[in-house]
Amino acid sequence: MPREIISLQLGQCGNQIGMEFWKQLCAEHGISPEGILEEYATEGTDRKDVFFYQADDEHYIPRAVLLDLEPRVINTIMNSPYSNLYNPENVFTAKHGGGAGNNWASGFAQGEKLYEEVFDIIDREADGSDSLEGFILCHSIAGGTGSGMGSYLLERLNDRFPKKLIQTYSVFPNQEETSDVVVQPYNSLLTLKRLTQNADCVVVLDNTALHRIAAERLHLETPNFAHINQLVSTVMSASTTTLRYPGYMNNDLIGLIASLIPTPRLHFLMTGYTPLATDSQTASVRKTTVLDVMRRLLQPKNMMVSTPVQRQANHCYISILNIIQGEVDPTQVHKSLQRIRERKLAQFIPWGPASIQVALSRKSPYIQSANRVSGLMMANHTSISSLFSRTLSQYDKLRKREAFLDQFKKTEMFKDNLDEFDASREVLQQLVEEYQAATKPDYISWGTQAGV
Amino acid sequence: MSEFKVHHSVSELMSLLGVKSGEVGAEVYTDMLLKNMTPYVTTQVSAHNAKRKIAEHTQSPEEFLQKYDELKAKNIRDLDSLVFLLSKLSDDEKTKSFLEKNALDRAAASGTTLSSHSNVLSQLPASGSKITQEELSQLRDKLLREASSTASHVGSDVLRKVMRDKHATRNVQLPPQPDWLFQRPHLTLDFVVGSQGQGDGNVVSLGTLPAALQEQAVIEDLFFCMEGIEGKYIHALTLKDRYGPREFTIDQSLDPSLRELVRRILPTCSNYSTVIRFVEVTPYHLQQTLGSSRLLHSQWNEPLSRHLPTPFLRDKISPTPSLHLMGELTLQKYWFYIQPTMRTLEILASVANAVNKGECIGGAVLSLLHEKTSSLIGDVKGQELCLYLTQAACVPYLEILEKWIYKGIVCDPYAEFLVEENETMSKEKLQEDFNDAYWDQHYSIRRERIPVFLEQVADKILNTGKYLNVVRLCGRDVKCPNAEEIVYTIKERQYVEHIERAYAFASKVLLELLMEEKELMGRLRSLKHYFLLDQGDFIGQLMDMTEEELKKTIDEIMPGRLETLLELALRTSTANADPYKDDLRVDLLPYDLITQMFKILTIDTKLEKDYRVDPVDLRLSGLEAFSFDYMVKWPVTLVLNRKSLTRYQMLFRHLFYCKHVERQLCNVWVSNKAAKMFTLQSTRWYAAAFALRQRMLNFVQNFMYYMMFEVVEPNWHDFEQNMNDVTTIDDVLAFHNDFLNSCLNDCMLTNPDLLKIVHKLMMVCVTYCNFMQRVTKTTDVDLEMSKLNFESTLQAAPTAKQRKQEPSFKKTTAKVVSEHVDQLTSSENFERTISKFDSNFSKLLVELLDKTMDYSTANCEHKLMNILYRLDFNGFYTEQLEAVAQERSMIEAAPPESEPGSSHSRPRSGRSTASST
Repeated sequence: MPREIISLQLGQCGNQIGMEFWKQLCAEHGISPEGILEEYATEGTDRKDVFFYQADDEHYIPRAVLLDLEPRVINTIMNSPYSNLYNPENVFTAKHGGGAGNNWASGFAQGEKLYEEVFDIIDREADGSDSLEGFILCHSIAGGTGSGMGSYLLERLNDRFPKKLIQTYSVFPNQEETSDVVVQPYNSLLTLKRLTQNADCVVVLDNTALHRIAAERLHLETPNFAHINQLVSTVMSASTTTLRYPGYMNNDLIGLIASLIPTPRLHFLMTGYTPLATDSQTASVRKTTVLDVMRRLLQPKNMMVSTPVQRQANHCYISILNIIQGEVDPTQVHKSLQRIRERKLAQFIPWGPASIQVALSRKSPYIQSANRVSGLMMANHTSISSLFSRTLSQYDKLRKREAFLDQFKKTEMFKDNLDEFDASREVLQQLVEEYQAATKPDYISWGTQAGV
Repeated sequence: MSEFKVHHSVSELMSLLGVKSGEVGAEVYTDMLLKNMTPYVTTQVSAHNAKRKIAEHTQSPEEFLQKYDELKAKNIRDLDSLVFLLSKLSDDEKTKSFLEKNALDRAAASGTTLSSHSNVLSQLPASGSKITQEELSQLRDKLLREASSTASHVGSDVLRKVMRDKHATRNVQLPPQPDWLFQRPHLTLDFVVGSQGQGDGNVVSLGTLPAALQEQAVIEDLFFCMEGIEGKYIHALTLKDRYGPREFTIDQSLDPSLRELVRRILPTCSNYSTVIRFVEVTPYHLQQTLGSSRLLHSQWNEPLSRHLPTPFLRDKISPTPSLHLMGELTLQKYWFYIQPTMRTLEILASVANAVNKGECIGGAVLSLLHEKTSSLIGDVKGQELCLYLTQAACVPYLEILEKWIYKGIVCDPYAEFLVEENETMSKEKLQEDFNDAYWDQHYSIRRERIPVFLEQVADKILNTGKYLNVVRLCGRDVKCPNAEEIVYTIKERQYVEHIERAYAFASKVLLELLMEEKELMGRLRSLKHYFLLDQGDFIGQLMDMTEEELKKTIDEIMPGRLETLLELALRTSTANADPYKDDLRVDLLPYDLITQMFKILTIDTKLEKDYRVDPVDLRLSGLEAFSFDYMVKWPVTLVLNRKSLTRYQMLFRHLFYCKHVERQLCNVWVSNKAAKMFTLQSTRWYAAAFALRQRMLNFVQNFMYYMMFEVVEPNWHDFEQNMNDVTTIDDVLAFHNDFLNSCLNDCMLTNPDLLKIVHKLMMVCVTYCNFMQRVTKTTDVDLEMSKLNFESTLQAAPTAKQRKQEPSFKKTTAKVVSEHVDQLTSSENFERTISKFDSNFSKLLVELLDKTMDYSTANCEHKLMNILYRLDFNGFYTEQLEAVAQERSMIEAAPPESEPGSSHSRPRSGRSTASST
């Protein structure tokens, strides 16, 4: 009776990072692309059944549902060596194959239409698990399918499985490049409302930061999607490692995120990972003690979210969880924590106790890595609100000009009015304010003041 | 000597001396003694000095010295260390006056009067009354240690045992000497006195003979006397006591110069008589061994006497009969010739005397011989003789020794060997009995039976056999590859080498048996998975599955059902890979952890009674009673005995309960997650509750992190490292003990104050969880109701339409719920309850932190300090802690009357009073 987790991958981006994620999981558990356990991996003491189930023929099948409104990416997956890994019944592409046209409203509306078919799959998966713990949703918030249909799915999932956790890995658009998707701010805003209200935990993967990391840390001239997706899959697999390689603590999703998220709305997490190295330069010579890893994790340049430095804003950590993998002398952990505390390397909230939790986890024995110790940080930091502020200001700019709204007005939801935009804006604005309030000592009574 | 023995002795001594165990418990002394314990070897010089010192101090030095010599002659063990202690005592005025007072008190109480202190001191070792003797032996034990001058093994009980042995009958059944031995006086090579008719006509008065003839007659008589036959003119006297020296009368008319010579020769005859008498009590063994009973002198007096046969003596004694026949032997020549014989007989007689006087058996005889041998250094011939005797005497003892150290069997019918088996100890009890001391007490050393020359290696001898014995009990035959015969030599090295080799072999065999065949490490690792929660998925799964069952009270639970669930959890989690998983069992204990811990911790304190009466509490929930048990088989039971399993259980229950609280808090999190959809206004009521939940979760999780990653894991790490180069099973036991103890210690389980607070904190968390769940449940019901209402209005509508209506439906439900929550929470009640929880929790937590700080600074337990860092990582509680510290210092400064007032007006941080209207 494992606490199963069903992963849903949506849209172009979602399926791409999903595919990388499953590749990584297969490699870590010693499962071949066909889903057969490799010879060397039969003796493992890992938990495959959180993410996989076993078919009658010793075949490991991911608890994954692949959804898209256009066939391109899913076809790539089905033509890759991993085509036999997935349960074909769980792979769904819209019959018309036209996609959502990067339009949130279109994606949302199509999701509504496909409700029966999609939820047939999800229900079947949910019924097939003994004690389902929750869902993981991979998507981007800027496009059409991932954002629009993703939003719809989030709402329905919440209705249907009110006691199950919904964690999303949401890719935020790159702010430094001009996007080909002009309605990106609209899409983002509308999705963020659902992420705020319907998801329990959002792991923010900021494309801006991912590109920066790929360029700076991995020394890549022109980072392509493959590199970025690899970063993402590293983060995803590392953040689930305590579920798959059980140790003393944090062996279920709830135990992992409950302490990270004190109040239900402030559930947007940043991640950081170190050491990062691509195949080309594995032989980076660096010290990898626990302290080094933990210190590096606190450096902004290793964060997968790019937030402008705002000194006056007093942004601080609400909570931090470090998952350290590899051979670690447990006594080092305390020393590192002490050092970080003494040097005040991290600024914490003033309204409650907060600390760096360190979960030690085993590493997959089947993957050789040059680093003795690696670490993932999942942090709840108030500066994430700057991402939302940015979205808000971009939205406001567009909205003022009433730009690109025709496509939205064509859909059912917006044909009468644009109330949904206003409602979403309000939710997001409140979120930003709540994050800002969380930097102050009187956060607990903030709701009271705002309400009166 | 084990800690417990010392502790026992100390506390007994304290009660005897009438010391109140109020301020400083026996533990303090025990600790001090254990720390100061150094092996002390009395040298001749120091013993002599001590003796002189006492003699100077006492009023009756002659008596003392006489007593000393007497005891020395009896070869009393530890005499020298006792004397040394007494001399130390006589220097220490403080102790002396205390003892004097104490002795007077006691004497007054018992009605006897003791004249003076010094008298007591000098008399006690030998002739005190029974009580004082014991008392002194205890006192001696303690003070000897305090003076850091004791051999580690000397214990009061040992001494007492020696004393008792001397006075009481031996517990070993030696067959009594048959009566005929004494009734048939002629069956001896010794002098037969008084049987010869006095009126022998042929005897001419010596004085009438010329000097030359007198000389010849006396020589002839001496020849006879040397063989145990009375001469014509030299008569033996009847013995005063059986082992006393034989005395002779010489015809009065003998020429004085001759008589002087004869008198000088006669002691040799007397020695002969002694030796013969000594020998003669044993010859019966020759017949008796067949009938398997023995005479007074046990096994190794036998060879001693066998090797002193009369022909041997005769050769030595009478080298010159031919000369005599030729008439050329003069008394002077005779004197000259018997010189070597005299010396031999003197040595033999002194040995015989010592053995007889001390009533030595077994090891004591060997010690005596050994000492004799060493003392004769320089006298080559004498030493050779003694060596010969010792070697011969040692043979049976060493045979037993060989059997023990090469095979692990005690074969000792007369209870003479230094290792004693206690057959009442059964290894099966290891599994059940918490206090079973099988390993420590099944075989034990009897200090008084150790021959001196084996003293240094006695512990090794004991362990060697113990190890082999375990291996034998596992049904395996052991053959020591280098089982060489052990022969006594004056140099210790040789047999010590044999013993060491046997020891090395035995410990290797047993260790291999345990570590490799019985896979001890694997078992311990498996225990760690289950008892120390190192496989979280298994525990999580088990908790999921048994949740319902464990909510019931203990007598409603079906253990069979729990077993099944356990089995299921084992098979479906990563625990499945563990080969020992089938040995895990469910155990429902009739008391919860706190009661158990306090019961143990309060033993010997005033609070003991508070926790004593606790008949099966019927309201104990399954959760509190739940524990694991583990089936252990011999010989792994040696390491995993009931005692260590109980300690594993304590750790488990502690961790398990924390885990339970964590899960409850997580459940609250899940049921509250819907709050993010509520309007801001309604959430605000929740904010305080959320913040409190977060603080609780933070506490519980960090507490667990601390216990798991800073206590259990590092300790385990050390333990594994130690186990890598462990060489004996005793090391294994010690390391394992250390591991468990430091885990218990650092998890605050051994500290009643901290434990109580932690327990209370957990209780607050659980009540909070229950409260929150109740609140959410009512909202849930509300939600369901509105859903039902909604659905009934839309019953006819197709589902597609229903879905389209959903946004509006959701709006209504959200409204309903938030209204409900508003209602519920704004009813003041909720708010007040939360703030009550909050203040309760804060108070306890600050108290915990404060106490922890105190303890870690007071006891230098830096580990505990770590929890402070963890729980107060961002300094959230620092302010409150400082407030507490400040308040305390104020209380200390202020007069006591103001105390009650100030404790109420404790400054509280503004944050914790969260929601105000």
